[in-house]
Amino acid sequence: MTRYLPPVVLVVLALLPLGLKDPYLLNALITGGIFTIGAISLNLLLGYTGQLSLGHIAFFGIGAYASALTALGFDVGLFGDVRVIHEGWHPFIGFLVAIVVSGFFGYVVGRLSFRVRGAYFVIVTICFAEVVRLVALNWIELTQGPLALTSIPQMKLGFPGLGELTLRTKVQNYYLMLGVATLAYLVVARLVHSRFGRAMRGLKENEQLAMSVGVNATKTLTVAATFSAAIAGAAGSLYAHYFRIIDPDVFLFAYTVTMVIMVVSGGKGALAGPVIGGLIFGTLPVALRPYMAPEAQWIVYGAVLILILFLMPRGIAPYVDDWFAARRARRAHGAAPAAKPQLEGQR
Amino acid sequence: MDQFLQHLVNAMVLGGAYALLGIGLTLIFGIMNVVNFTHGALYTFGAYAMYLASTALGMNFFLALPFAIVAGLALGALLELTLLRPLRGADIDTTMLVMIGAGIILQSGTLWIFGGVAKAIPSPFPDAPLQFAGVSISWLRLFVLLAAAALIALAYAMINGTRLGRAMRATFQDADTAALMGVNVRLIYTATFALGSSFAAAAGALLGPVYVVFPQMGDLAAVKAFAIVILGGLGSIAGATIGGFVLALAEEFGAGYVSSGYRDAMGFLIIIAVLLMKPTGLFARAERVG
Amino acid sequence: MPTHRIASIAALALGLMAAPAVAEETVKIGVNQPLTGPFAASGAYVVNGAKIAADEINAKGGVLGKKIQLVIEDNKSNPTEAAAVAEKLITSDKTPVMMGAWGSSLTLAVMPKLEEYEIPMLVETSSSGKITTSGNPFVFRISPPSALEAEMFAPMVEKLGIKKVDFLVINNDWGRGAAADFGKMLKGKGVEVGLTETMDAAAQDMSAQLAKIKGTDADTIMITAAVDQLTLLFKQMAATGVKKRVVTTGGSQNPDQIVAQAGSAAEKTMHLTTFLPWSPDKTPDPKATEYFLAEWKKRGYPFAGTTESFRGYDGVRTIAAAIEKAGSVEPKAIQKAFWDVELTGLNGPIKFVKSGPEGKESGQSKPGVYLIEISDGQIAEVKL
Repeated sequence: MTRYLPPVVLVVLALLPLGLKDPYLLNALITGGIFTIGAISLNLLLGYTGQLSLGHIAFFGIGAYASALTALGFDVGLFGDVRVIHEGWHPFIGFLVAIVVSGFFGYVVGRLSFRVRGAYFVIVTICFAEVVRLVALNWIELTQGPLALTSIPQMKLGFPGLGELTLRTKVQNYYLMLGVATLAYLVVARLVHSRFGRAMRGLKENEQLAMSVGVNATKTLTVAATFSAAIAGAAGSLYAHYFRIIDPDVFLFAYTVTMVIMVVSGGKGALAGPVIGGLIFGTLPVALRPYMAPEAQWIVYGAVLILILFLMPRGIAPYVDDWFAARRARRAHGAAPAAKPQLEGQR
Repeated sequence: MDQFLQHLVNAMVLGGAYALLGIGLTLIFGIMNVVNFTHGALYTFGAYAMYLASTALGMNFFLALPFAIVAGLALGALLELTLLRPLRGADIDTTMLVMIGAGIILQSGTLWIFGGVAKAIPSPFPDAPLQFAGVSISWLRLFVLLAAAALIALAYAMINGTRLGRAMRATFQDADTAALMGVNVRLIYTATFALGSSFAAAAGALLGPVYVVFPQMGDLAAVKAFAIVILGGLGSIAGATIGGFVLALAEEFGAGYVSSGYRDAMGFLIIIAVLLMKPTGLFARAERVG
Repeated sequence: MPTHRIASIAALALGLMAAPAVAEETVKIGVNQPLTGPFAASGAYVVNGAKIAADEINAKGGVLGKKIQLVIEDNKSNPTEAAAVAEKLITSDKTPVMMGAWGSSLTLAVMPKLEEYEIPMLVETSSSGKITTSGNPFVFRISPPSALEAEMFAPMVEKLGIKKVDFLVINNDWGRGAAADFGKMLKGKGVEVGLTETMDAAAQDMSAQLAKIKGTDADTIMITAAVDQLTLLFKQMAATGVKKRVVTTGGSQNPDQIVAQAGSAAEKTMHLTTFLPWSPDKTPDPKATEYFLAEWKKRGYPFAGTTESFRGYDGVRTIAAAIEKAGSVEPKAIQKAFWDVELTGLNGPIKFVKSGPEGKESGQSKPGVYLIEISDGQIAEVKL
């Protein structure tokens, strides 16, 4: 049953704009969706390798800036008379550049920071995001600093034989977001079901043991960080071309926290986890808006995070799984208990 | 030369407050293995407690300061009893996330209650600065430096000279053995967290009158506290003290001679450099605290 | 719109439907201001000024026979939020005209949205030149751009005996724009321009910049920042022993708040401001000024806020005049009607003249600019 759930959810989400004409709600769904993609990428690190990266927004923001600058062009003096001048390119190239640049930063940060674990790792990742924010704030020639990068072009998609489409409307951007989110979900799913995914989970369960059977810890974690950062970069690119303005506050810790809440509440280490969390926390601001001020909403998020950690530390997704498993078990009249461990082993 | 000395004096004042922030954080991590993400919120809390005490409650400045510190102590104890005690034995990531949640609640709560407009805490000191050798320092800042130094000295005396301090050190070395030896480990945890929190609140209460008080003031303070603790090595009080001053010097001279925009980046660059070269920090001695 | 339905059901349940106002048709004006973050103090003042204007107009029967309803949203002092707020006001609240967004970077971030949805906006505070020169025909500004402020300050430069100036400005369009425009004007008058130091909007400790400025041979520091940062700066200047003439620009200084919070550290500082609430009889419309100040006092707001809040007051009055002239609440009609508005504001006549590239001109009104000085804790216009 759970096997059919993802496609059903996808179809429901794809049909949503047909019945939903309010641009404000659509806007909230797109924004929530973009951060859900970030959460899907964070889940790869947080959920599958067990590394709590709290600087994840750095890769999202780097993707946003890389994509925007590729599309807008820039003229930057490096040292002496050396200048780098870049004319604006097609926004879709910006999207690809964002993935590559973010992935590269993910690789570098992974190589350097996986030398430490636990609290040290967490702090290094936070510091990395903060340094990137300060660079964005102060390298005014490139990023416009606090003046924000404005007039970022809308995303354009070229179709062979059909010409080019500029994504102007909210509905178009919604489908772009949904497409990228689906892709990100599939990439992560493919990754965690591969041999490489087993190595990752092995490291999470018991690093010493995994290494003794030949898993290269640093290499595995670095590959995971690279993929994770690249997907976050793609989300950042969508953000830049949808909002058409970015400023250094895109690197704020609060956004990382948003993604972490999505992953943890939905269920870390479950493919559906960040999607469930994203749906809840993407739409919650809209639902709560008429009743409470934004600061009161944040109090609710904080409380929800704590409650989830206390009451269901594994998140919502595993409970959904259990529920379906239990129903199957009831149908099979008690034959299931023997089958269940086997199922766990396959997952 | 004058400018150099001026920067040096500025750095010393800032360093004292940074050291307080760092000591609180390192104490909690060293003994409880908890990365305290409410540290920034407690810093803010201390500043607002100071503000409330010296305005609404009409307290004298010198009375308001201990009031704010005790308020921080109480809030810390409350957080430990409600959130951390039930989670003993949970992995470090879970406690970190719970602390993040608590930090969000505290910060948003401050914003909700006091609004986003910055508040000023009246200072009893004269505006005219103390001048010597071409360097000026305001009386308020001088007081901040002395008060911070006194609090740091107090922390050392407490940890090295009292029964509570001995029990804390024993718990740091090995919680299980300490429990067997008759140390009430649960009590030590609560005391440690409360004490660490009161240091953050003290830093906020001291710097609040120097700057202005606003709900997000703890964000940067928290990240700086992390920087200091990483620099000094997680769990080392001496490291946190030195780390606080090193960070202040780097910031002040970085801003004065390199670029004022990268002032706040200095700390993070230091952390990244330290972690690349000596990941356990400059003064890490994992065996003992103090 | 399920949320709306849920919202109204909830409102019923909470017994908030006591007033029949919900059914009445209103004219909505979107207000996009910083209510949290570094500019929170100023944004809140502007909003409170706007409310006074709305209540005054509503008491006299509103516009086009309908009551004005201000839809107030917080842009958190952040450009991206400001753009998001504009989007929300236009698409969700369907406001046909807006006022905002206090800071220049915030206003510039909103401007593409105005073009996208073709909604006019009255700019009440921002002073960057870019706002009215970039060819956005939906922008109408009543605050002076920094070039205009510099132009009005020019005759005072010699009389004050200014020889060399250092700039200390907030690191955004507002501060950098002011440093550029005043620098150009000063150089044109043969005055030397030394350092241009910047500080982040949220920066609290400027002692490093001040230590640097302390060491130069400039006789004057020109500062552009909002009131909270100015207060800190003056205190830190006193603490670092910086003794130079200080002139602040931008009109967001709230001199009374500075006197109250910085005390003697603010002595002898000079400020370029656009409103003289200290001497209502010298303002262009003394009666209106008296009314506004009395109403402000009645509502229990601090007097210090008036140098900011009058913009919100004038802004909403200007918008109401435009709606009345347009005779409808169509954004297009209101945009056209702005050009015909003639009104005596609290700081001079409000009449828009064309500015920027031909065919896509923005509207710019030319208010008065005054130099005031804080002396013995009192605020007075500088007589030159």
